[in-house]
Parts: sequence; C-alpha cells; structure tokens
Amino acid sequence: MIFFYFYILFQIKQQKSTMKRRFTNHLKVFYFILFLIPISLISQKTVTGIVTDKNTKEPLIGVYVVVKDTLVGGITDFDGSYKITVPKGYNTLKFTFVGYQPIEKEINSNSVINIEMSEGQLLDEVVVIGYGTVKRKDVTGSLKSVSAKDFNKGAVTAPQQLLAGKIPGVSITTDGSPGGGSAIRIRGESSLSATNDPLIVVDGIPLDNTGINGGRNNLNFINPADIETMTVLKDASATAIYGNRASAGVILITTKKGKLSDGLKVAYGAKFSVGKITKEVDVLKADEFRDLVNSRFEEGAKQRDWMGDASTDWQKEIYQNAYGQDHNLSISGGFGSIPFRASMGYTNNNGVLKTDKFNRLSGSINLTPGFINNTLQLKLGLKVSKSKNHFADKGAIGSAVGFDPTQSIHSDNEKFGGYFAWLDENGSIIGLSPANPLALLDQKEDNSNLTRYALNASIDYRFPFLTALRANLNLGLDNSNSNGTVFIDTTAAFAYNEDTGGGVDNDYKQSLKNKLLEFYLNYKEKLFGNDFDIMMGYSWQHFYQNSESHRSDIRKTEGNVSSSFDAAELYMLSLFGRVNYDINYFAFLTATLRRDYTSRFAPKNRAGLFPALGIAFKIIDNKNKYFNNLKLRLGWGVTGQQDIGGYYLYQGLYQKSTNTARYQFGDEFITTFRPNGYDSKIKWETTKTYNVGLDISIIQNRLSGSIEAYKKDTKDLLNYEVQVPVGSNLTNIVATNIGSMTTKGLEFSINSTPVNTQNFSWDFSFNTSLNRNEITKLNSDESSLGEHVGGISGGVGNTIQIHTVGYEPKSFFVYEQKYDSAGKLIPGEFVDRNGDGQVNELDKYRRETSSPRIILGITNNLTYKKFSLSFAGRAHLGNEVYNNVETDIGFLKRIDNLGVLNNIHRAAIDNNIEEQDQATYSDAYVQDASFFKLDHITLGYNFGKLIGKSFRIYTTVQNAFVITKYKGIDPEVFGGIDNNLYPRPRTFVFGLNVDF
Amino acid sequence: MKNIISKILLLGLLFTTANSCFKDLDTVPLDEDILTSEVFFAKDGAYRSVLAKIYAGLATTGQEGPAGQGDLGGIDEGFSSYLRQYWYQQELTTDEAVVGWADATIKDFHDMDWTPADVFINAFYNRVFYQIGICNEFLRQTSDEALDRRGTSEALRKEIKEYQYEARFMRALSYWHALDEFRNVPFITEQDAVGAFNPKRIEAKDLFKYIESELLDIEDKIAPVRTNEYARADQGAVWMLLAKLYLNAKQYIGEDKYTECLTYSKKIINGGYTLEPEFAHLFLADNDHNDEVIFPIAFDGLNTQTWGGTTFIIRAGLGGNLNPLEGSGVKNGWQGTRTTRQIVEKFGEIGGVIIDFHQRTSYPQVYIPGSYMGDTISTDFALTDSDKDKIYKGYQYFKEDNSSFVIAPYPSLNPAYGDSDGDGKLEFGGDPLVIEKAGFYYIEFNNNDKTYKIEKRDWTATGSALSEDVPFVYDEDLNMLKASANLNEGELYFKANNSEQITLSDGNADGILEENGNHLTIAQSGPVEIFLDLRKEDFIYKIASTSYDRRGIFGTNGQSLDINDISDFNQGYAVLKFKNITSTGEKGSNSEFPDTDFPLFRLADAYLMASEAILRGASGGTKADAVNYFNKIRSRAYQSNLANLDENTLNLQEILDERAREFMWEAQRRTDLIRFGQFTTDKYLWQWKGGVKEGQAVENYRRVFPIPAKDINNNPNLVQNEGY
Repeated sequence: MIFFYFYILFQIKQQKSTMKRRFTNHLKVFYFILFLIPISLISQKTVTGIVTDKNTKEPLIGVYVVVKDTLVGGITDFDGSYKITVPKGYNTLKFTFVGYQPIEKEINSNSVINIEMSEGQLLDEVVVIGYGTVKRKDVTGSLKSVSAKDFNKGAVTAPQQLLAGKIPGVSITTDGSPGGGSAIRIRGESSLSATNDPLIVVDGIPLDNTGINGGRNNLNFINPADIETMTVLKDASATAIYGNRASAGVILITTKKGKLSDGLKVAYGAKFSVGKITKEVDVLKADEFRDLVNSRFEEGAKQRDWMGDASTDWQKEIYQNAYGQDHNLSISGGFGSIPFRASMGYTNNNGVLKTDKFNRLSGSINLTPGFINNTLQLKLGLKVSKSKNHFADKGAIGSAVGFDPTQSIHSDNEKFGGYFAWLDENGSIIGLSPANPLALLDQKEDNSNLTRYALNASIDYRFPFLTALRANLNLGLDNSNSNGTVFIDTTAAFAYNEDTGGGVDNDYKQSLKNKLLEFYLNYKEKLFGNDFDIMMGYSWQHFYQNSESHRSDIRKTEGNVSSSFDAAELYMLSLFGRVNYDINYFAFLTATLRRDYTSRFAPKNRAGLFPALGIAFKIIDNKNKYFNNLKLRLGWGVTGQQDIGGYYLYQGLYQKSTNTARYQFGDEFITTFRPNGYDSKIKWETTKTYNVGLDISIIQNRLSGSIEAYKKDTKDLLNYEVQVPVGSNLTNIVATNIGSMTTKGLEFSINSTPVNTQNFSWDFSFNTSLNRNEITKLNSDESSLGEHVGGISGGVGNTIQIHTVGYEPKSFFVYEQKYDSAGKLIPGEFVDRNGDGQVNELDKYRRETSSPRIILGITNNLTYKKFSLSFAGRAHLGNEVYNNVETDIGFLKRIDNLGVLNNIHRAAIDNNIEEQDQATYSDAYVQDASFFKLDHITLGYNFGKLIGKSFRIYTTVQNAFVITKYKGIDPEVFGGIDNNLYPRPRTFVFGLNVDF
Repeated sequence: MKNIISKILLLGLLFTTANSCFKDLDTVPLDEDILTSEVFFAKDGAYRSVLAKIYAGLATTGQEGPAGQGDLGGIDEGFSSYLRQYWYQQELTTDEAVVGWADATIKDFHDMDWTPADVFINAFYNRVFYQIGICNEFLRQTSDEALDRRGTSEALRKEIKEYQYEARFMRALSYWHALDEFRNVPFITEQDAVGAFNPKRIEAKDLFKYIESELLDIEDKIAPVRTNEYARADQGAVWMLLAKLYLNAKQYIGEDKYTECLTYSKKIINGGYTLEPEFAHLFLADNDHNDEVIFPIAFDGLNTQTWGGTTFIIRAGLGGNLNPLEGSGVKNGWQGTRTTRQIVEKFGEIGGVIIDFHQRTSYPQVYIPGSYMGDTISTDFALTDSDKDKIYKGYQYFKEDNSSFVIAPYPSLNPAYGDSDGDGKLEFGGDPLVIEKAGFYYIEFNNNDKTYKIEKRDWTATGSALSEDVPFVYDEDLNMLKASANLNEGELYFKANNSEQITLSDGNADGILEENGNHLTIAQSGPVEIFLDLRKEDFIYKIASTSYDRRGIFGTNGQSLDINDISDFNQGYAVLKFKNITSTGEKGSNSEFPDTDFPLFRLADAYLMASEAILRGASGGTKADAVNYFNKIRSRAYQSNLANLDENTLNLQEILDERAREFMWEAQRRTDLIRFGQFTTDKYLWQWKGGVKEGQAVENYRRVFPIPAKDINNNPNLVQNEGY
C-alpha cells in the first residue's frame, strides 16, 4: 500500500508543473492522510458506551478513546457516546480528556462500557493562537481576544469597527463613508513605507492586504454578525508563527460554528439607522461673504459683478440624512449528525454625502462534521458576498467648503445640465475654476460591483494509534472579482473639453485569486512528567491579481482612449514549528521558529528566519480565594515584513510606453521601452520585539488586569521611495531597505465586575496605552533635514511632515508663529529660531505630535432585570492635527483667486491672513486634537419569551459626542492631516433580535 | 515500528513537497508590457525603442503620457520634466520670468535664495543623471559581448552603432547641463554597473574634457549634418553643443575657447541651415518642419503628452484676460509665469502695437445672413444694439454687385425680415434687401418701427497727424478695413465719404471709436498700419508700427507692466511666443497638450555665438563678419534693414540684449547672464532680483547651483559647491 502511494506520488510529479497543477500537487498530502485512515478499520469486536462527568453527570464531548497499544481509537460525540471496534488480542481501553484524569478500563466480555471521569483541574479557557490553541493561563505572548458579547454595538458594517477601543495598543480609525475602511494600527507603526496593516487571518486563512479596485474595505465580505471572536496578537512571541507578515501584528477572526448540542436555532436580527453630520466647516455665510466682497472691492469692480443673488449653504446641500438598514438571519444546529451554521445578511447604507451608497448581500455556511469516531474532523466554511457601491465624488466635500455662497446650485444654462458653472464673457468655462459641488455629485455616475467568495477547508486528523499526534491540512481559496464604471455626461462642466466634447466613460475590472495550503503536525505528550506540545508545519500561498481598465471621453476621441491590462503574482512559502513546554505547572515555555520565502526578493535574499521565545511564570494559579492568578510573561521574537507593494522588485525590467508617451522619429511615433530602476539586493525588513507582561486576577476573577511593556526595533526598513546615490541606479528612487526605527510602549488594562447580583450586574473595562516611535537611522546623515512626507493641499508638492533621525516618524515640520503682545497672531511673521537673521527652511522645527501619545478605551455593560445599558468610549491624548482645511482656504486673497469668487475659512478673518503662504507652514495650524469620544451608547430591553420566541430590542446612538478643543469638524484624523475628510455621522440605530 | 515508519514518511513527504514548490518563487512579470531584458531585446525594434526613450527623456516624464509610471520619484511627476526643470533654472532665475505659484520653493528661483534642500533643483539634478543613466544602460546592453550573446545580426549591429553615437551625444548633452548648472558632479559611464555604490566625483575641468572628447570622437561618425530623421541628433547637433561648450569655457574651466567656438559656429552656419523667414513660426504647432532648427525636443498633442515641456511653457503663461484658446490654442492657462519690465523695455515699443483692439463687449444683436456669405452662414456678421434703444447698427462689406441679405433674429435665413414692397419698412418674411453696387455699407435697423437704413460709406484716415488723407481698403482675410500710413505727431480721425458729417475717432484713447467725437492724439511718428473693425459695436481699431521687432510677442490685456506682487498673475506682461496653433492659424491636435516642439538648438544661436566669439577675440573672423552675422538676426526681426548695427555700434552688451530678445523663454538666459557677469552682480538689476522689488545683487556663488543635499548625504564622494 505504501508502495502504491509512492507510485501515485511519482505519477503526479511527472506531470508538467503548471500553475494550476502546483496547487493540486499539494493535495498529495491530503491523499496521504486519507490513505492512513483505513488502517484503523481492520477490527473484530465492537464496544460502545457513554462518557460522563463524575460530578455533573453531563456527557463529555471529545474524549479520546483508544485501544491500548494499538492504532485504534475514537472520540466521543455530542452526547458523550463512542463506538469502537477492538482488534483481536487487545483488552484495554484508554480514555483521555484534557483537564480530566485519564482512565484505563479492561474490556473483558463487556460490549457496553460507560465511564465517569473526574476533573483533574478546572477546565481552562482556551485561546486561539496561530496553528492551534493554548490555555489562557499558559499564554506567554501578548494577545487578547474579544468575543461577540463584548463587540461594539451600533451600525457596524465592517468587522474592524467591532474592536475599536477594546484592546490596549490597538487603534482603529474608521472612515465615515458607508461600508468604508478602517485603518488598524497595533502598537503604533513599525514600518515607514511597507504596510503597517496587521495580518488578518480569517478561519485560518491569512488574507491578502491588497484592496480591490472598486471596493471600500477589504473585510467587507465578512458579516460582523457572523464573527465569534477576534484575537489580536501583539508581540513577536505570539506573532512570530506568522513570521512573514506579522510585524504589524496579527488579528485572528473566528466565525461562528454550529453545535449539535444546542439543537436547531434560528435567529434574526434587524437594524435601522439614520446618520447625520455633526459639524460643518466654519466658512462665511452668504451675507457675510457679500459684505466682505463689497468691502474689499470698490464700486464697479469686476469682483462685485461676479457675485450671484443666492444664499447657498453648500455644505448643507451636499449632505443628507443617511438611512440604513441591516438584516441578519442565521440557522445553526445539526444537519443529521453534521453541525452547521448558515447565515445570510443584507446591508443597505446610504452615506451622509449625497449619492453615496453601499449595498451588501452576504452569506456564509460553516460545516464541522466529524468522521471515523470523530478522529477525522472537517471544518468547511464558505463565505460569499456581493456588494454594490455608488461612490459619491468626495471632491464635492472640499469644493462645497470653498464654493462661493452667493451662487445658486442651478442656472438656466442647459449646456451644463442646468448647473451653475463659472463662465467667462464668451460663455466658456473659466480655466481652473472650482466645480459645482452638486454637479460633482449628481453628474458623476461611479458604480462598482464586487463579488467575493472565500472557501476554507480544514481537515484535522487525530491518529488513533497515537492520540497525541494530530495532522491538520488547511486549504483556502479566496477569490474576488470587481467591475465598475465611471460615467460623466458631456454636459458636466467639470469634465468639459472643447476638443473631445468632454465627459468621461471609464470602466475597469479586477480579479484577485489567492490560494493557500497549509499542513502541520501537532504532537502533545508528557515529557519528564510535564506537558510537551510540538507542532511543525508548512505553508504555501499564492496571490494572483489581474486588472483591466479603459478610459476615454464620451465620444471616444482618438488620442484620448486608453486601456491598460495588468497581472501580477506573488508566492510565499514557509516552514514553521513551535514547542510548548510546561515546567511543573509553574513556568510555561513557548519557542517558535519560522522560515519564510517570498518571490518578491532575489533567490539569495528570499529566506527570512523568524525565531521567538516566550516564557510565562504562573506565580499564583487558582491557589487562593482572593488571589486567583498572578503571571509574569517575558517574550522576545523577530518578525518580518516584505509587503511593500511591487511584485518584481529585484529584477531589471523593460517597461513599454503607452501611445501617449511615444516619441517622434521623422514622421513616425515610436513606442518607447524604459529600463526600470531596481535593487537586486532588496531583502526582509525585520522587527525584534521585547515584551514583559504581568497578569493579575483577584476575587474569584471578578477583577483582572494586565500591564505590559514593550520595545520593538525594526531594521532594514523597507522603503518604497529611497533616493539612491545619483548615477548608481537607473532612476533616483528605488524600493530598498533603509533605516531603523524603535517603538516603545506601555499598556494597561483592567476588567472587572463590580456588581453581580441576580437583578443587577455591571461589567467595566478600561485600557490605556502609551506609545512612542522614533526613527533611529535613515540613510541620510544627521545634518540633513530628513525625508519630507505628508503632502498637503495648497501648492503642488508641498509637505508638512518629515522623517528625521531621532524623531517620531511624520513629525510636523513647521515655523514657529509670532504673536503680538495681545496674543494675536502676526500674519506671516515667524520666529528666526537659528538666529541667522533670515527665516527659511532651517528655522522650521519638528513637533512629534502626529500620533497620540496616550490612547484610552472604556467600556461599561450594565443590566438591570430585563434592561441593559452599555456604552463605550475612547480618548486620544497628546496628538495634534494639521488643519489643512484652514490653511488651504483660510486666506483673504483666495476670495477672487484665479478669476472667480471663492469662500474662505473664518480663520482668515480672525487671523487676518492675506496670503496663503502666511499660513501654510505656521505651527498655529498644528492644533491640539486630543479628544474623548463616546463611540456608542446602547439601551436594550429583553422581553424574554413571547409567543414562544425570544425578543430583544435596543437603540444605539453611535458617535454620540466628542469632547475636544480641535476646531475642525473631527479631531480623529488618521495620519494627522485634516484635509476635507469624510464626516463621521452621528448615527441613531434601532435594532431588534429574535431567537426562534 | 509501523507507527515510527509512518511518522518518518510523513515528515519526509512534508519536506519533499516543500522543495518541489521552491521554483514557484522564481516569478517573472505576467504583464506583457513589462519584460525582462533578455526577452525584451529579442523583440524586433527593441534597440530603436530604447533609443526613442533616451530622446523622450527630454520630453516626457514617464511611460504613460501625460503622467503615470513616472521615471523619477520624490516629486510631482509634472514637475519632473527635463525641459520644465531646465527652464525653471535657466529662466525663473533671470529677468525673463517670474512665477506666481505657491508650490514648495518655486519662488526661491527668482528671489535667488535657493538652498541645497530645494526640491526642484534636486529634481533637475536627478533628471539629468536619469538621462545619463539610461544612455549608459543602452551602451551596456549594446556592448559587443551582449550582442554576441544574443546572436545579433550584422545588419542590426550596423544600425545599433548609429544609435550608440546618438546615445553618446545625448549623454554629452546632459553632462553639459550638469557642468553648466552644477559643475563638480558624480561621474558614471557604461563601465559602471547598476547597483548600490557611490559614484565618484568629477571636477569641472575633467568633465569639460570628457564632454569635449566624446563629441570630437563622434563628430564624424554620427549621421552627417542634416541627414538624420527629424528630432534625432546629427553632426549639426554635435557642432552646436561643441560651440556652446567652447563659448562658455571660461566659466567652466577658466580658459578662453572662443576660437574653437567660432570654428564650430561657422561649421553650422555653413551646414545648410537657413533662417526661418517668419520668426513667429519657429514656436508654433507645426514647427517640426523648418530649416532653422538644429535639434528640437519634440512634443505632440496626441502621441507625446506631458505636463512639462511646451505644455508647461505655453499654459503656465496664460490666464487673466488673455484668451487662451483663440490666441494660443490651449484650453486654459495655469496663471503662473510672466516677464519683467526690464525685458519688455528691451523691445522698445511692444510688438509695434500703438493701440490694440479693445476686447469687444457682447450686445444684443440681429443677424444679416444673405447671398453674399456663400453657403455657410457666419455669426460674425451682425448688427448690434449697444445702448439698448432697439436700434441695431453695423457695417458690412459686399464684395459683389446685387448682393442680398435679410435681417434675422438667428443666424439663419428663416425666420427673417425683408422688404417686399420697398417702402423702407421691414415685414416678416419679406423679400431680401438688395445691395446693387459692391462696397462697404452702413446698415441700421430700428426694431421700434421696423424701419431700416442702408448707406455706402467709404472711410479715410485724416487729421493733422497725416500729411495727406489715406483711404481704407477692405481686407477680406481679416474682415476689416486697412490702411498704411506715415504718422506724425498730431491728431488722427476717420471720416466717411470724404465728408466731415460722419467721423469716427477715439479722444479718450480707450480703443473704442466714438462717432463725431474728439480726435485721437498721436505722440510718435513712423510708418504704421491702421485697422478698423466696424462689423459690430463696439467699433474698434488698431494702430501698429510696421517697423518693429517681431520678437516682442507679449500679452498685455489686463496685465500691468510692473510687478508689485509676484503671486498676482495680472502683474507683469505675459509672453505669448510659444503657441499651439499652426502657421496657418489652425489649432493644434489637442488643446490640453500642444504639438509645439521646443527648439533646443537653432541656427540663429550659431550666428550670435560667432558674432560674440569674434568680439571676444576669436581668431578666424573679422568685426565685419561679426556685424554681418549679427545683422542676419536683426534684419529678420525687423523684416527690414532699418535697425541694423554697424562696426561702431555693435558691442558685447548689444549681443547680450539681442540674445534676450531672440531667445526669450528658450532656456538660455541664465547661462548668458553669467557669461556677461550680470547674473549675480549689481551691474544689471531687474524687478525682484534677489527678492526685493527694485532688484539687488546676490552672492557670487549663486552662478552655480548647489549639489542637492540629498545626494551629498547619500554619496560621501561628493563635495558641496562653494558658498552653500
């Protein structure tokens, strides 16, 4: 039989190795497991029975039942029963179960053997970690799980939002648009231009970070209502097992599964929401604007003639009440003997920006059957989602803020679809004049459709002859397809073009195909009397994408039509292993090692080796009524980063030009080919993390807390835009490894249940974190100013932030504003900080305030009889925001800039700013943006059983209030530059849950 | 035993599977537009398409026109254009240009206080070495060894040889720019491989020698003068670059090379090039076919698109009341660049225009379509009502006898008014009105009582400014009346039918003619052309001197001559020299991206270099030769010999000023001012030189730009230029 297997293997190897076949090649591991199974079927006598808990008399599920000294064995099912066929000549059964005393029992002539097992220790809570689980008390690394009951409530459309404010060191900044994305940062940023997004693993499948064209949020395919737990792995001793992509942390998402023991459950949930904007940018009202124009320009001046007769509050006009609804239906239980859960969800949300719409239909099925006495367990999951978007042109936000309020929305000019446009005396559009915000919203049709399906199959086989050994095969397929169109009619003034007739007729499509194969073996056994757990595995991932786009004007004018096609792929291979060893129940040791290969780098630099070590000292462990737990954790590890965008970074390539970038030779236009720049030596960015943590839990676990300190040192920073010595490469900027960075932080969290009586209970949790990043090395020497980053509006190529050695990345780089004795700002006067008699670039200084120094999160859950109240809030302290809205439109000269009238920010008058460059680099516009936000407050009422069904209703106010000194519309600005961000609405939700 | 075997098998399997997958990691691009070099060079036309990229490096900014897949990083792609950045450094630093934008440090150029951290200087420096880098790469990829390896055919090798000479010329050109702007720079050739290393520094004198030796080596190998395809370099381009190198040798290496400059200038002069008769045609959308340009940077509205290049030169200089589409053939202006008073004054009377047409105001109008128009009905011909009294007035020329027309609310023959019964009153749908005798007629229509008036009026220019009356004749191309006259100081007005009954003049000199009003006062004398445009109200006119410098092509409408605020586009005259219209007045192929090529080298420069070299003591030419060369340029500019100089009047200052006039906005000015010692010193000041309105001297070290701080930091072999 073994021979036969190798014969098959050999046959497969002979086949030509095409891309598709490579994947099937991996299936041979699977075949091998299938092949092992029949061994256990050679048998002669059948024994059945039920295993129960000695104290509770409840059936025990998942007890290993093995015929001693054989390969034969099984696992008890949901009612504690097992059935086993005993080979001739064997007469002892061995029952083992985690947390219980193992039992051996002679069979003799019995064909029914019922067993009662007694607890050895309390059953421990188990936490999901990479490639396995671990008992919470044995955790050595920094990780934290949040389960469904603790998730954020309200109009949540994307999984990321569930976690905001829940975990110290994890900051989540959510976009205000419907179905919009969220930026997640775990313990600040550890890379300058490679991704700082954490790796997200859904049901064992690590996702691709690449967003799809026409999508809003990479996690939109998961219905938040389907999520069971989300676990965040923060330090390297926890994340290193995902070495290759783990530098920015890892989030493990586990979706809900069905349980046979729960019977058939049907649940329905509905939410209705309405969102409103909370604040408008403080620009002049129409009358104020009129007065200002009249006072600035004398009688008869053309500027006065430009004014219209209307009074339009453009910001009011572009926003709307955003209505939304969300429905969920799930069925779970057993389908025959197969546990399953199926769900469907429908979300329909409008944005507060008119015409912005998000629509999603999602479905998921999870099947978790067990075979062969449950020694073979299958987990099958399918998630399908279909979403439709209409994208509003976000340019309307900035345009509305600065548009002349004396103009009306509509005019009788049919040529431009009846929308007001700035025209000269010949009726032509004035060059560079701003677009009518409502025209931008109404005359642009920007739609996309996305479908995504993610299939995961995990096969877990426990060897009956060696119950300590488990094999796991994990297969995943994640396919996304999107297509979209952008259509702007020829009547739109903002897309007008005299030559072509104007308008836009674009379309695009893209597909992403990601495949995963992972296999690991796990062996758990006593070694020298202590628990020993070793895992070894292999992972293969293939990421493939192709896209196509077409652009043209409406008439498809020659020379204005272009198409592009693009395809690229990435392979990643890994070998990994982990050892857990519990030393006399006092210290728990975890060591992991992972070797990763990426096709992004040249063969010499492909491999990265990522070790990690963690140890937990269980100083107090359930020994005392008051002190339940005291644990010290120490961790060290190295993780890698290679996700920097491009796919073929190390190769010298020739790139073709489009037809619009050809060059004339004689009377012919020659398509050009360019040798691209590259760094053949590009390699892994690595982050070394040190972590110390202390967990305490007292008074029967009613009060628990953790305190943690960490340090992360990143070296060989992957930088997408590094200026290399001029002349050394084929271009000035290449992606390469440059610089180092250090991040240090402290985290503290506390969970408590101050009151817990029959009628009233109160859960309270609080967390806070401090974080500081510092660049410790860049290529440029100490004397150089640094790398300018953080592009702003107002002048092409202007930047407000800088990376400098010895400072936080993205420090604001600004002039110190001068003030008069009354404390009033003196326009255009800055402090000559270096005292050389002139104010220039060298007088700018760095403010390390673009990210918050302290983050706080607080959650309260109260229940009183059938009422429940929960609220959660967050605070960011010590951060500042560059108010680019004020600097971009807060200057008086803007009123008649470029031959049209423009509204200005009130700050222009308050500060008497005449010219834009009096404001652009002034530190007066780097403004305190510390805030406290009450993210949501929810009041619920549980009716209990009514007409045989259980009802719960609730109402939520999301984004209830903000306390801040910041003057812009919202102090929570990712990246620290406030430039007409999409307003986060205050949303009122009404919800209903019914369990059938 | 069995279970141990199983375990071993399983582990073994695990690692064999892993190993078989390692070849997965050897990925190559799946996109057919991106190829590895060996795949690429096996394609037909591969070498030619890389050569095209070398030339395109001066024009485009990346592989997707107008922007996308940029060649350089760290700067907005539109700003990364070779020509645009060269232009910034050569023009914005001088009297020829200011820019009003707020982009980063762009104003530092004119203020002359740039620092080594300047993003634009860094961008140009990077662009120059980008160009050198791809020339080197081409030479590496075409080494004998590489060609042997690919089994390249003999025929193709011969072609590749030609390309190599051109690549070396292009590299020498960029090294010359590096020498001129930065002096002591990194030095790399095809001998250096691509990768992380610090290129060594070369000093100006060695770089000069290198450029010279490269050019002398290829001089007789590259395509002979005027034999290569358009836009590709030939012997003429090599000579020209040598002449320019020698002319400025004193600045670069402290040695005079004027004799060599003269030698090479004369080779060009005798090379078969001819001056384009119409100066203005050198800068238009169809300038790719003329005999004066030696080496252009080619642009095309459809095929070679960029936000730099001539797109930038033309559009950045438009805005305000300068009507871009009609005048310059682009959709709109970017309201950035203008010129200073000092430049305008070098031209004397601007463009010879004494009074220009006033911008017309739109009034209510009725149309006068009729048989005289032919098949197409023109909307240009109409009667207007300027005072809203419902009386519509206008003039119309009828070329033939018995022309007919109707009076219509739309430019259409129907619906319309005519007069069937000849009672002097119009009726709706009446027969067309008939003009029996050809000529220039006044037409008036009173919509209150539907009466009308048609009167033949022949116009004459008269008044004390004229020694005798001059009759106007109708110019059918211009659709207006035209007369040539010699003006004296005095009064000027126009009369109809040789009678003082109906006159037109412009007492307030605002460019709009008033009926029977005060007369216009003329303050200067000389030959002029007078144009009357009486088609519609306002009745407007133009008086232009016929003895003027045709190179002064300024936009003045709505612009002030002085600049008090550089940010205000309306301050300072616009320069309308480059246009996206053809010599026959057609628009270019794309109103976004001009077709206009940039003449990097042209014959006129060789004449002025020869003249200057002689004045500076070159042997091989006499002062008479210098005057002769100089006057070639002068007489084209004036279309006459009236302004020519002689041996007594020609001097070096005249040559510098002549270069300002001839090469305005052609990216020559900074180098010229430095050669004449007027760039940094107080010998010559212009508005806002050194950051103050009246102008001030700046530090002498600013004759050379700093090595950008980024590269100094990156490459320890480099040394910062003195002063920075």
